[in-house]
Amino acid sequence: MRVQLTINGIPRQVVADPKLTLLDLLRDVLHLTGTKQSCDKKGQCGACTVIVNGKAVRSCLLKVANLEGAEVITVEGLGTPENPHLIQEAFVLSGAIQCGFCTPGMIMATKALLDANPDPTTEEIKKALRHNLCRCTGYLKIIDAVKLAGRFIRGEISPDEVRPDPDGAKLGVSHPRPSALAKACGTAQFTADIIIPGALELATVRSPHPHALIKKIDCSAALKMPGVIGVMTAKDIKGTNRLKVIFADRPVICEDKVRYIGDPVAVVAALTREQALAAAEAVEVEYELLPVLNSPQEALAEGAIQVHGDPPNLCYTQRQIKGNAEKALAESAAVVEGRFITQINHQAPLETEACVAYFEGEGEDAQLVVIGRSIDIHQHLAMLQEALGWEDMRYIEAYSGGQFGIKADITSEGIAAAAALHFKRPVRYIPTLTDSLLMTPKRHPFDMKIALGADNEGNLTALKMDITVDNGAYSSIGPIVVDRAFLMLSGSYNIPNVHALGRLVYTNNPWGSAARGAGPPQAHYALECAVNMLADKMNIDPLEFRLFNSLKPGQTKSTGSVVEQWPFPELCEAMRPYYERSRREVSEHQSGTVRRGIGLAAGAFGVGGPGDQAIAAVELNDDGGVTIYAAAADPGEGNDSMFTQLAADIMGLPLNKIRLSTRDTEQTTATGPSAASRITYMVGGAVENALGKLKQAMEETGAKTRQELEQAGRPVRYIGTKATLEKGPADPETGLGPSFESQIHALQMAEVEVNTETGEVKVLKMTTAVDGGPVIHPQNFEGQLEGGADMGAGFALREEYIAGQTRDWVTFKFPTIQTAFEHKLIIRETPRVRGTHKGSTGVGEMTMVPTAPAIISAIKDAIGVWIYELPATPDKIKAALAQRS
Amino acid sequence: MSSFEQSGSPPRKYIRSIAGRDVMFDQEGFLWQPDDWCEEIAEVLARESGLESLGEKHWLVLRFLREFYYNNGRAPLNRHLAKGTALSLLEIEKLFPGGIKYGARRIAGLPNPKKCL
Repeated sequence: MRVQLTINGIPRQVVADPKLTLLDLLRDVLHLTGTKQSCDKKGQCGACTVIVNGKAVRSCLLKVANLEGAEVITVEGLGTPENPHLIQEAFVLSGAIQCGFCTPGMIMATKALLDANPDPTTEEIKKALRHNLCRCTGYLKIIDAVKLAGRFIRGEISPDEVRPDPDGAKLGVSHPRPSALAKACGTAQFTADIIIPGALELATVRSPHPHALIKKIDCSAALKMPGVIGVMTAKDIKGTNRLKVIFADRPVICEDKVRYIGDPVAVVAALTREQALAAAEAVEVEYELLPVLNSPQEALAEGAIQVHGDPPNLCYTQRQIKGNAEKALAESAAVVEGRFITQINHQAPLETEACVAYFEGEGEDAQLVVIGRSIDIHQHLAMLQEALGWEDMRYIEAYSGGQFGIKADITSEGIAAAAALHFKRPVRYIPTLTDSLLMTPKRHPFDMKIALGADNEGNLTALKMDITVDNGAYSSIGPIVVDRAFLMLSGSYNIPNVHALGRLVYTNNPWGSAARGAGPPQAHYALECAVNMLADKMNIDPLEFRLFNSLKPGQTKSTGSVVEQWPFPELCEAMRPYYERSRREVSEHQSGTVRRGIGLAAGAFGVGGPGDQAIAAVELNDDGGVTIYAAAADPGEGNDSMFTQLAADIMGLPLNKIRLSTRDTEQTTATGPSAASRITYMVGGAVENALGKLKQAMEETGAKTRQELEQAGRPVRYIGTKATLEKGPADPETGLGPSFESQIHALQMAEVEVNTETGEVKVLKMTTAVDGGPVIHPQNFEGQLEGGADMGAGFALREEYIAGQTRDWVTFKFPTIQTAFEHKLIIRETPRVRGTHKGSTGVGEMTMVPTAPAIISAIKDAIGVWIYELPATPDKIKAALAQRS
Repeated sequence: MSSFEQSGSPPRKYIRSIAGRDVMFDQEGFLWQPDDWCEEIAEVLARESGLESLGEKHWLVLRFLREFYYNNGRAPLNRHLAKGTALSLLEIEKLFPGGIKYGARRIAGLPNPKKCL
């Protein structure tokens, strides 16, 4: 039917199919791609929020046929980067924008709220934005942004009064993030926003079975369906068909066997996405079911079927032996023991796993260009070259909607690049959320048995820990996750005797890989709960116990490596007044149905692992500015701010004279993954090194511009590197050897409220004392802490990925603004000896490490029971209470 | 732990003594750090790959690879290598028993892109 409506002030006539949603009209027809889509049009994410007739609506739920006469405003109708709306400026200036994928929807919901109520309370803001999900921020800075926007709109203050002086100090100041306005205005191009007229759309046929042989793939029905161009299977891949990280175990498309629910079996290419999805349903796959290994215990049983064969189900074992833990435990005055289990969890970036691929050039010069979501474009390029048997390839990172480890692995790129090669046509693979959940790696579940001892004086004596890690069907960086847990095993403490065994086991569960923190968050759940148990058993205050047992410079970590800085005791002292006040406050609420408790947990998160190295290039520009070249992805953390402010400070240049080239394998240095909290410390260090060389050349010649430096006969481009002092590897028998050369220290206190009848837990407040060295951009720094703690709370209380059941954001239990909590930050800035520039490190992961044990310990403080298996759902809490009584 | 002995053993980086120095290699036999490279190491690696000696064209390729790396911070695509050396890809592939990646790039001491640490 014909519908007349106005979109961003422009009258439109649309002859609409009854099924056409407003979101489809905006994105697919009008290419107003500022409006985003994450939840398969279920109305779960709010990324598609626009304003219709003055009200915020989720455009995925509205049919165009019902919008006769409607006035629609999208984010593009609000402002542009050159002329932004006050709300867009408020989001930028509040540090409310990280990856930016949720931002347009948040801003439109804010517009509708402030139009009706220019001075909303926090509760009113939470209600108005309750449909809008954000994975990055923990929502706190979004609430700040709405309040600031209200002040702008009410005329109480102007953006110019809030905006830091761009000519002022470069470090320690929250200058607007370079990418923030584009994200706020919807002009930042995420992969699904890229228009390729005529591109084939892809859909993947995935295994519904966790373990089966593929006996037959019948594509005949699918091939007859409208718009279908073809179906490809593993036989159409010309390379190794293996995405090798450590073991060459994961196929781009499965050949003869599937190993988990979601393994790819075939790929359909069609003229439209709907046609591809429909045809994928019509591909008939005949499976012969195999025994399913649901757990490491089943996989390690005698005679168990092998997931791969080579390597065997027990694919990696690592020990860590320092001193004599058995003897020390036997001689300890007090020992606590426990078994702690963590769940399979999804990292949950809001953007789905989109990728496009196409050829540039023709014949022998044809280059395959892959645009996607990688945080390690050079490594992934090399993997794709081998897997697909095509060398002339280039990877470009688009704007990326969050990652949290998930984008350290290839997912959709393998399918898209293979299809472009096979069909010799440009392709778009914009998977559904359900498809994205199936294809992606997950946080490894850990099953941990721990024993921790102390002597009569309260000195920690020994730690024994057996960790069994469910690797799932493929290994990716599984061995590295075990290693990382071991490198940080003793956490913040001096533990003279350690005996640990880590085993990584293939099963038919979803495959594990990088997930914010990658190992230590799981291991610290056991360690930090055990520390609190031991303090309790010895009747020592847990804060004093931590302070007393803090590692000190000159002592050794569990790896045997000596530390030279350890500013953790200062964090304990900084936390003390908050802790004592909260202790007093909760003591008044520790009876009755709803009880409160507090819990402490610490972390010492390593950066600069053994053998890490980074490389960056800098180039002097014609106008005296500098361009930085390094493949340092920025899926939301704020690396653009870090590089810009770092370089401006080092070179004495205005911020707008610093340019970044970070997204293209043909332009950038292969500087390693944007993971492991390493970008500021490692790549920032390499940039600092390169800038030092450039600056020296400019000072020696007096040159201010590229032309002047060239005339002086000096290079205008310089390579810089940073490498950690120790390379490793650890001793294979004892696991002893070099560890991370610097640490971000944190001590967290959770305050919770537990309903003993329903088992519901509410996080009331988190207090984090943190020291990561000098802070370059306070808002970005705080944003990582707030968002990470929100993720940690989800890990502790709600989130779990259950294969075959977790299909969207509701079944995943995505954190909302309603579950957001107050977060007090205590920031100390001890310069690190080998930190970047003034001694900075990175803080992206640390906050995941202590959050779950702090919350679980707070639950114990409130109701007297320990929860030994995450997430601490109401059912588990009620069961624990029932068992105690 | 009865199953310990049956555990898989992922390839790891390792240190080996080569050309009179201790140098770290990755699991595929590539130098961990390109600065560790020297011509003597190249000659040893070349011999191990089946080459009796490195000739002029070998060195042309190796020097281009290293120069490209130290200007760009990455290995070149084959098209850049062919253009930079004025040799055909077929010719370069034949020069090195392991081909371009596992032969020339490895002998030139160019590192593999790094994965998560």
